[in-house]
Amino acid sequence: MRKLGYSVSALFAVIAAGFALAACGGGSSSSTGDTAIPKEALGNAATTIGECSADPKSGGTLVYSRRAQAQDLNPLVVSGGNGDIFVVNQIFDQLVTSNPDGGFELTPAIAESWDISDDGKTYTFHIRKGIKFSNGQPVTAEDVKFSLDRFADPKLNLILAVAAVGYEKSVVVDPQTVRVELSEPVAAFLYNISIYPASIVPKDLVLEQGDAFWDAPVGTGPFMVKKFTRGSSLTFAKNPHYWEEGKPYLDTVKFNFAEEDNSRMLDLKSGKAQMVDGVPYSQIPSVLDDDQLQLQVVEVPQFLGLWLNHQRPQMADEKVRQAMQYALNRDEIDTAIYRGVGSTPNSVLPRLKFDAPAGEVEPYPYDVEKAQTTIAESKYPDGFDITLKYPAGFEDYKQLGLYLQQAWEQIGITVKLQELDQAAVADAFYAGDYDMTFPYAQFTSDVTVPDEYANLLNDPGSGTDGFFSWWHDEPIWKKVKEFTTTIDEDTRAEQWPVIQQEMLDTSPVINVLNLPFVNAHREGVCGSKVDALGSDQLQDTWLTSAE
Amino acid sequence: MSTYILKRLAISVVVLFALAAASFLLIHLVPGDPVRQMLGSGATPENIASVRSDLGLDRPMIDQFGTFMGNTFTGQFGDSITLRTPIGDLISERIGPSVLLILYGVFFALIIGVPLAVAAALRPQGFADNVIRIATTFTFAMPTFWLGLVLALIFGLQLGIFPVSGYETGVGGFFRTLTLPALTLGLSLVAMVVRTLRTQLLVVLGSEHIEAARARGLTERRVVGVHAIRNSIMTTITVISVQIGFLIGGTVVLEYVFQIPGMGTLLIDAVTNRDFPLVATITVLAGATVIVVSLITDLIQLALDPRVRLADS
Repeated sequence: MRKLGYSVSALFAVIAAGFALAACGGGSSSSTGDTAIPKEALGNAATTIGECSADPKSGGTLVYSRRAQAQDLNPLVVSGGNGDIFVVNQIFDQLVTSNPDGGFELTPAIAESWDISDDGKTYTFHIRKGIKFSNGQPVTAEDVKFSLDRFADPKLNLILAVAAVGYEKSVVVDPQTVRVELSEPVAAFLYNISIYPASIVPKDLVLEQGDAFWDAPVGTGPFMVKKFTRGSSLTFAKNPHYWEEGKPYLDTVKFNFAEEDNSRMLDLKSGKAQMVDGVPYSQIPSVLDDDQLQLQVVEVPQFLGLWLNHQRPQMADEKVRQAMQYALNRDEIDTAIYRGVGSTPNSVLPRLKFDAPAGEVEPYPYDVEKAQTTIAESKYPDGFDITLKYPAGFEDYKQLGLYLQQAWEQIGITVKLQELDQAAVADAFYAGDYDMTFPYAQFTSDVTVPDEYANLLNDPGSGTDGFFSWWHDEPIWKKVKEFTTTIDEDTRAEQWPVIQQEMLDTSPVINVLNLPFVNAHREGVCGSKVDALGSDQLQDTWLTSAE
Repeated sequence: MSTYILKRLAISVVVLFALAAASFLLIHLVPGDPVRQMLGSGATPENIASVRSDLGLDRPMIDQFGTFMGNTFTGQFGDSITLRTPIGDLISERIGPSVLLILYGVFFALIIGVPLAVAAALRPQGFADNVIRIATTFTFAMPTFWLGLVLALIFGLQLGIFPVSGYETGVGGFFRTLTLPALTLGLSLVAMVVRTLRTQLLVVLGSEHIEAARARGLTERRVVGVHAIRNSIMTTITVISVQIGFLIGGTVVLEYVFQIPGMGTLLIDAVTNRDFPLVATITVLAGATVIVVSLITDLIQLALDPRVRLADS
């Protein structure tokens, strides 16, 4: 009996200690469980608050903990995906760029102006006067021609050759002027050359140094690489020759690679990092509760793209797909899983330029009755069994899978969930070895115009079988082809909503929800801007603590 | 004795060979293509085919296997597919933090575990004994991932004693950045140390030579601290060496949680990228480490414990 008494009291002692520990670890609890954050509480924090309304100060070091690590700084290799792309965007510029303040429009970068011929096949770019690379040498038309030729070379550009569609050649008119000739009018050409593969690099250095150039790259971007410790961090130094007067304000920027979500948030909360990207949805309430932290919700063309394999007869049935759309309660998904940061789409693609608003192209309403009558009209009125593949390691995908399972049970579709790691999901996707899948954990468009994904889904010449959906609709394809070759913006603004509506009606794939990027930073960080593609505009950022 | 060592070495080589073959085969059986991972969604089928061919990934499996085995056993490990740098360079860059983490972790396991085991053994079934056994079972059962985050939260964020993440070189950096992860590792191992040492101590403390030592008038401290410990520690060392696999696995998780650029995070990235040669090489190295550690432990036992030596001859 005495022995038992000792065991029991010992057990209680340990448990009591455990509770005491938990109590001091409590702090700010997540205030909201199921309720969404009111939309007014969120925002792209480019708005100036408090000390940030003063003038920018120069100097200081910004530590930014990032979800994706950098592997390769060659803009035509970027084997590390977004981790590389966001680094490349600090080091290099392109002829034109997405507006740093956000929005769909492009602004001049290396090119200060350009002329477009009436037939849309010739672009003449005028290089910004006095613009230099970070080593002081001037940017010339030779560098631009060299960079664009590389971008269009299918042997060099292995990652996004489709962005160079239509490119024929560049001609050096004079050291400040380059004429680019296309084989056919490409409406999205300026958008296609505004992104990372079309970065302008110094011809002589790249030819001289070969692969070694990318270990110490030289570009026109606001920052230069000072130190790259693979697997750990990348430190940037200010580019003294940056073309925007007075910028960048920061002396140094350090990217810490913090793939693990909790670790990254601890970096921010402890002050080790002043900015983070990829705030996990479940931690949004705790960031909002913390006075020292500011959430930053950025609209980007990101969506929860659910791809359907039309080689499966059930997925090829239009009524089935429409029924699936009607059975989704997007508000509930947004509130419960995404803490209200998402938005209901009215397109099968993410939110892009030329999209008609929700008043003109209506999103699918949540209507279970309609869903049931619609599936009754299909070839599978009694429903069927089907498998959903999705990437592992994401809390929100797990929850989303469970939600979809119970949503579609209402129309007789029994979903079997299959969680696989990203590479296995991708493998199955490209091989067409799936029924339904979320092919990418982070699914975004590379440009803010619909041309890229409209082509991928519709163009039989894209070589991707409807971007691995095995769907094709000839009338829609004809409209898309016309849209992508029409230069006049006003005409395009009329053409796209028609395509948007038709694609939404037949719903070859399902856009479950549009999602923003969710970043956060500590107070004292001002001017944190992100462009419409999610790239941080660190040239505009400054610290109130700088001397 | 030398025949024993030679036999062990021969078996080790066979085991390593089998391990290399198994790692190679397994990573190739898992779905996923490194070239697709590298090039992304925008790559055309022609691009992919040409890169696969450049990297020699379209050669027959037997061919690739032969190259891999040759590379591994001559120590010229070949190149990483994704990072396109020699694997040898990558490993020498990243092995430091992992080795330091494991050693520091074992140090913590011992420095916490040995005193606790002694305290528990001196009054078996006493209050201290029960608390110690229950508490160490808790830390053993806690997932390393979770325990690491909790320590980072308490000692890093709330108390501010250590940084919450990261790795710095140098002596100061070692103590600042590796203490929390090593402590996590040590705490998960401490239960094993405490249990085995306590049991062995109880056996030894009840034995005749200890009684004799006490009868001769040696202080309790000398009896326990010198004679009892010395006879018990061997089981503990054996247990730790058997756990080396667990420790290596623990570093993978802890490096991920604490943002330490060691072999663990290198392996995680390699698996995500399906970087076949890198995954297989790291696995073989981990296996080799286990084999070497176990061999060394046996040799230490041979050297320290006359009973084993005599039994062998």
